[in-house]
Amino acid sequence: MIDRERRSALSRVVSRQDFLRAALALATSTLLRYVPAEAAESLEVSEVAPGLFVHQGRYEVQSPQNRGDMANASFVVGGDAVAVIDTLGSAVAGRELRSAVRAVTSKPIRYVINTHMHPDHVFGNTAFKNDNPTFVGHYKLARGLATRADRYLAINKQMLGDAAFEGIEVILPTLAVENSLTLDLGGRSLVLETQQTAHTDNDLTITDTATDTLFLGDLLFSVHVPTLDGSIRGWLALLDRLASKKTARVIPGHGPHAMELPEAIQPEQRYLAAIAGDVRRLIKEGKTLEDATKTAGFSERDAWKLFDHYHVRNVTAAFAELEWE
Amino acid sequence: MSLPIKRLAYAALAGLLLFSATAKAGEDVWQSLKSQAFGDRAIAAEDGMVVLEIPGTAEDAALVPLTVRVPPAVRQSLKSLTIFIDKNPDPKVATLNFGPAAGTGGERSFSTRVRIDNFSYVRAVLETEDGTLHMASKFVAAAGGCGAMQAKDPDSETVDLGKMIVRTFPPALESSPIWSAQVMIKHPNSNGMQLDINTANFIPARYVRAMTVKRGGQLVFEMQSTFSLSTNPNFRFTFGRGADNSLDVAITDTDETRFTAQSEPSGS
Repeated sequence: MIDRERRSALSRVVSRQDFLRAALALATSTLLRYVPAEAAESLEVSEVAPGLFVHQGRYEVQSPQNRGDMANASFVVGGDAVAVIDTLGSAVAGRELRSAVRAVTSKPIRYVINTHMHPDHVFGNTAFKNDNPTFVGHYKLARGLATRADRYLAINKQMLGDAAFEGIEVILPTLAVENSLTLDLGGRSLVLETQQTAHTDNDLTITDTATDTLFLGDLLFSVHVPTLDGSIRGWLALLDRLASKKTARVIPGHGPHAMELPEAIQPEQRYLAAIAGDVRRLIKEGKTLEDATKTAGFSERDAWKLFDHYHVRNVTAAFAELEWE
Repeated sequence: MSLPIKRLAYAALAGLLLFSATAKAGEDVWQSLKSQAFGDRAIAAEDGMVVLEIPGTAEDAALVPLTVRVPPAVRQSLKSLTIFIDKNPDPKVATLNFGPAAGTGGERSFSTRVRIDNFSYVRAVLETEDGTLHMASKFVAAAGGCGAMQAKDPDSETVDLGKMIVRTFPPALESSPIWSAQVMIKHPNSNGMQLDINTANFIPARYVRAMTVKRGGQLVFEMQSTFSLSTNPNFRFTFGRGADNSLDVAITDTDETRFTAQSEPSGS
């Protein structure tokens, strides 16, 4: 009885592996870069690993011109279904992302996963509503987004303009992840893990086990200056743990389509450590928050895009956290 | 040729009208605030008796650092200081009534961090010993500081509620009679404008409403405040040197919970 169960479990695993291999072989045989038929209505995506597609957002703040297309968004195609990971910053950009999915596969979009609560990653959710997917997020995402929703909507209406703002609605997760959760796309599983407060208090990482790819969301910024809306101590601790992690590739929330550890995280580690070091020293010297916003971390100014947009806010947040040490 | 110029002129005119309308609206708010707080007493604006330092553009509207200075040339002792943010839901941020230990004989100052809900004038009105009023004001571009949830990690903040740090700093010049101090308290300072997703109700307002600071039993100041103070209220201020320069601080919030702390040994 036990043996038979074991055998059938084993054969199930084997058949899944075979299926996966077949699926991967099929995926790799297709074009590496997809230029969809309706180019005007579909975003450019790159297939960075078999069946795993990433759109690279611009290094900009939201504007009528970029329509909230300023973060990375991805999708993973399994044997039965598709999971979308982050949806860009507007309904219109979300629809273009959906067109990009449809240019690759007609399989149902079963999951829409948000790596965290920020508008440039969640405001495109609405474009997938008619697919009736399960919206998945960290269990603290709903609270974080709901308490900020009015302000996020007001700011984005102002910055995107009426045309690009059209149709945006706040869609909260229908499935909340506590600790970890595995989603099955049909012979391909995604492992979702909640993280301690770092970039925000609701960061979720996703591993595509088939290709050993780790989606870091905004825990990883490259080129685009990191933005701190959680805990600088938590973020630095998490990056320490990531440095020794072995994975084929990581996908940043802002940055190139795909990167490799540990090099990928080094500039961000250096940036956050520079702020933490300077701020701690200034606090020790009895200096104020205003003093810190004028000096801390400015050695990093030339290393990042959008530094002037976000750096002072980062220092403010770091100071308010570290002064309690 | 003439069309673009005409358009430009219209745009400029519209801009001018808009600006003067906004400026006028700002003045109207202040006129009524002023008469509520000070009746028909005269207020000397920008006469150098009080200086307000605040960034013209706030990077984080929920946490805007603000400093009020009384230059050393002002010799009188101080009676009161009131800080306003015209366009906030409750424009009066805080009123300080100074006591005998507030000190004289050097630069006096008070710093805190505030929420700014809308582009607004921020004002500091100082009352000196002789009963005259002096005002410094500045226009600040910031928005969304009140409706936003300020705590980045609300769970860890709740755990530490009421934790206080009080520090004193001797003057750089030993002969100076003015010391400085810092008071910090972990407190959400909830303003009742933040939605609780689990209950779909607004989180009830709970904020620091009063603080008393004493040096060796003598009053430095007592303060009444509102939810315009940022989460985790933070104060820096000066006080007069005494025989014993340790401070006792008592804070009361709108739940009538009382928090007290004494300063750590100076310089620690």
